[in-house]
Amino acid sequence: MRGFNVLLQKEFREAWRSWKFLWIPLVFALLGMSDPLTNYYMKDILNAVGNVPEGFEMLMPELMPVDLLQGSIGQFQTICLLVLMATFVGAISKERASGMATLLYVRPISFSAHFMSKFIVMSTVGFISILAGFAASIYYTVVLYGTFEIGPLVACFFTYFSWLLFVIAVTLMMSSTFKTVVATTCAFAVIFIGQILDSLVGTFWTISPWKLPLYGVQLMRGTMEMSDYWWSLAITLVISIICVIIGILTMKKNAPTTKI
Amino acid sequence: MTILLQVTGLTKQFAERVVVDGIEFTLEKNTSTALIGPNGAGKTTTLSMLTGLLKPTSGSVKMLDGDLRANIGFLPQYPQFHPWLSALEFTEMAAKLNGVPTKKAKVEAQKTLEFVGLGNDLNKKISTFSGGMRQRLGISQAIVHKPKLLLLDEPVSALDPVGRREVLDLLKGLQQETTILYSTHILNDAEEMTDQLLFLRDGKLVEQGTLREVRQRFDEPNYVVEFGTEKEAQLFASQSELIGEIKGSNVYIEIIDEKPSMQELLQHLSSCPNKIRKVERQTASLEEIFMKVARKI
Repeated sequence: MRGFNVLLQKEFREAWRSWKFLWIPLVFALLGMSDPLTNYYMKDILNAVGNVPEGFEMLMPELMPVDLLQGSIGQFQTICLLVLMATFVGAISKERASGMATLLYVRPISFSAHFMSKFIVMSTVGFISILAGFAASIYYTVVLYGTFEIGPLVACFFTYFSWLLFVIAVTLMMSSTFKTVVATTCAFAVIFIGQILDSLVGTFWTISPWKLPLYGVQLMRGTMEMSDYWWSLAITLVISIICVIIGILTMKKNAPTTKI
Repeated sequence: MTILLQVTGLTKQFAERVVVDGIEFTLEKNTSTALIGPNGAGKTTTLSMLTGLLKPTSGSVKMLDGDLRANIGFLPQYPQFHPWLSALEFTEMAAKLNGVPTKKAKVEAQKTLEFVGLGNDLNKKISTFSGGMRQRLGISQAIVHKPKLLLLDEPVSALDPVGRREVLDLLKGLQQETTILYSTHILNDAEEMTDQLLFLRDGKLVEQGTLREVRQRFDEPNYVVEFGTEKEAQLFASQSELIGEIKGSNVYIEIIDEKPSMQELLQHLSSCPNKIRKVERQTASLEEIFMKVARKI
């Protein structure tokens, strides 16, 4: 891991100076607060917009706090992941394509240090982002609906973070293996098409990384079959580690493709 | 002289195309070597293999005095920097990545940047830099860790005359303590600072040696006799059996096997009734040698 500290500092500087630590968490926070707010004020919104027929009675479902958190996580799963992945999917491939990698690759540094520095920065941005997202969602839910139990909530948060690590590992592996365009396509396919497939035909199996965000919510509801949970968590971490290893190897293999 | 780098049978093949074809040379310590050749001759590919970025198909590059990767500085033709870093941060990072201790790295980076003339721009973001400044920064990141071997790919080609002069002077300042290998197609530069010439064409090393040796091999000097008018030149040409070519008021006389000698020519000229302005023996410039080597089959 030669050069790890130096590279980590460089990656942090980049992320900091390009405001990634600010705007990505902001996206998560905004979408996190949108669910509790819109649900709570749905009646008022409809009245304000008008066009509600005279005598129209609407039956609002009785929402539990956990339902709103689930809604927020649903938001994170689409737009927020898209933003996070799109921001980082070029992390390695763009550096190669522009030639910025050349001045680094000629030095005696290890590729694992290089890959891990990017992985850690992306994970940190991801961590702060979901922290902001969860905080915003929970704050408005607590104010408008009711409180959570702290233990399951923390468990749910870290379960989601494990899923996020999987997303990050896949994204960086693709960036390391392919050119940016292909990497984007492949990473999006794995994460988003994977989600769709898992929700369409996922009833046939219970262990999968794509189920992890939902399992986090089920932990809070207390309806989780724990062996499924542990197996899914384990398999997610194992796949993430495999992705990191492949990423490091392909980064080394693709080093000569850097623009000179 | 001690040998620093030994290159044997270096070959690179991309699919069907052989880009570098079994080249062999050695670099002596603290000398400058110019790698010259037309576009597409394989200069950049050769340098990339020396840096270790590109794996040779066959052949080897050996540094006889330590590990190659830890002891080189490399400046690509179009260096790309991380634009959000400042010049000092980038150079400092380069030093640290090459193993300069953290405490020393900042001082060294500062010194190097002052040496390349960026002393006033230490904390400016690289994204604001001009072409000349980027090239200087490129040199500073290549030399900050005091490498034994400095590899430069077209270090001055992209610069204006002023920038070129400055960068060349910089490199000359490094000549005493570093072994330099640089590629160029600007021959005046090669003429100015070079101990050894390596001539690459179609991936093959077609000529090598000191500037003097190569010159001797290709030197086909001729004489120029300048007259006042074209008419006089033509008159002289019509009366002499030595003439090669007339251009304006100049008569070019080719020398074949050291004939005629200067004496013979002067004797010949002494009988000429017209006014002679200049008699000159011309030697081939590197550019002429370049053209000859580039066309040689």
